[in-house]
Amino acid sequence: MLLERTNLFHWETLVYLEMFIAGVAAGAYGTAALLEWLGRGRSPLARTAHLLAFPLMLIAAFLLIIDLQRPERFWHMTLQSKTLLPMFKPWSPMSLGSLIILLFSAVAFISFVDAVIDRGALALGGWRQGRTLHGSALGRLWAVIGGLLAFGTASYSGVLLSVSNIPGWGQSTLIGALYVATAMVTGMAALLLLQALSGRVAPTDLVTLAQANTWLIVWWLVVLVLFVATLGGGAVFFLSGAALVALIGAVVLGGIVPLILWFGPARTGRAGAAAFAVLVLLGGLLVRYAVVMGPQQHG
Amino acid sequence: MAEPMGFFTDTTVCIGCKACEVACKEWNQLPATNGGVNVLSGLSYDNTVRLDGTHWRHVKFIEQFSPDRKEGRWLLMSDVCKHCVQAACLEVCPTGAIIRTEFDTVVIQSDVCNGCRYCITACPFDVIGINEVTGTAQKCTLCYDRLQAGLVPACAQACPTQSIQFGPIRELRQRAAARVAQLHAQGETRAYIYGDESMLGGLNSFYLLVDRPETYGLPANPQLPSKQAGPSWLFSAGSAIVAGLLGLLAFRKRRMDEAAQPAAGREA
Repeated sequence: MLLERTNLFHWETLVYLEMFIAGVAAGAYGTAALLEWLGRGRSPLARTAHLLAFPLMLIAAFLLIIDLQRPERFWHMTLQSKTLLPMFKPWSPMSLGSLIILLFSAVAFISFVDAVIDRGALALGGWRQGRTLHGSALGRLWAVIGGLLAFGTASYSGVLLSVSNIPGWGQSTLIGALYVATAMVTGMAALLLLQALSGRVAPTDLVTLAQANTWLIVWWLVVLVLFVATLGGGAVFFLSGAALVALIGAVVLGGIVPLILWFGPARTGRAGAAAFAVLVLLGGLLVRYAVVMGPQQHG
Repeated sequence: MAEPMGFFTDTTVCIGCKACEVACKEWNQLPATNGGVNVLSGLSYDNTVRLDGTHWRHVKFIEQFSPDRKEGRWLLMSDVCKHCVQAACLEVCPTGAIIRTEFDTVVIQSDVCNGCRYCITACPFDVIGINEVTGTAQKCTLCYDRLQAGLVPACAQACPTQSIQFGPIRELRQRAAARVAQLHAQGETRAYIYGDESMLGGLNSFYLLVDRPETYGLPANPQLPSKQAGPSWLFSAGSAIVAGLLGLLAFRKRRMDEAAQPAAGREA
């Protein structure tokens, strides 16, 4: 039996926003990695992901830092404050996550620069337009590394919640799995939204992306159902109050309505694709809210 | 390394005087709640209510009365950090702020902690809280500074009934076993030790109780949260593999559709 808690830890708005934003970055980069492995590392879609992931990670890191009680000590996560030696405890999801975020941000930065170079806005010696990292053999290796780090970024915060004694979180081992699915579905939705708004992509390409996203929505819903079904006594923390409203909202707005749209306007028009993407993003945000805030509303 | 030290708290002789709370506050210079303005909780004689970042000792008042009030008893217990041999807080702390000392106690270094609050979520006993003055997580240090100077922790020193006993763990466990045997011989067969070696490797602050742990607000079976890590990572990886395969298949299917219908559109 888990103890009823009285000490509040206030992982609230900044935390679920950070999880959402980092998840979008990881999902977008993961999508780019998939495209790279299919030989489309320089496609407009992959490049959009490269341009999106790093700035989002900067925002996510900023949110994490300002959520600390002592933000000026954020670097204690990666360096031992007294010796300046690396601080790394792989058995601690937060320590491991700090390293993963750092490495993923570094990899995403290189991909970001690569995308800027690909547009002809920058050249660094032999690293110039037409001779970019992505789209080359090295780019495939880079995509493997980046893809694994994107997975780590998407999943660690969910694992972190499970590795706790908070009723609700500590009773599930599927939060990480749910977070990975949420990251992929929202990352792809963010790309779909940007593609739809840019107007530079053929409608058929939007359909490709929306179709991939649709398949992932189904997987996301499956994991969401598994998560709730396996909670046992912990379900009460997510199936009551605002968390329940958020979960229902997520399933309806982020899952069912987009799937209905897929068989209608999203298949043909940019506006439909944009609406599809916005709804999926909203659903992803609602899931993050429900998972993070559910147990804390019972404090 | 010095011999493991700790507390044995015999709740049957606690009188609820709160000398331990006061001594702890005074020695560790912990701030008063609400700026010292007294706020009554309405919970028996307990107005500090819990352990947190500024209350490192807490005397619990548990009233057990029959509905007609003809029968009843008080359970009193001076609670504190358990200084677990397998400490969840120490395990998850990402900054290395939480250390195990030469006395086998668990201490949060306030100059290292950055206030991430992960230890608060990990502690199975809900002991740790944020000290708003320092902005860091804090809890009982088992008076590490006093131990280094060869002194007894302030709470044990102040306890007038020896409910809180301090000493080498090995010796305390023998003393506790003898006390349980004594109580059983006197007819108090409900007496037992909470926090032996089977619980998180042993609690270096353990208790003699006469009711279920839950009655005292203690978990019956406290767990290290890290046991969740392996399955969580595994399921996450499984989810990523399925999501990745679905993504690959969707993009590949589209490509094949395009190959079949060249006019369908260009690359994504």
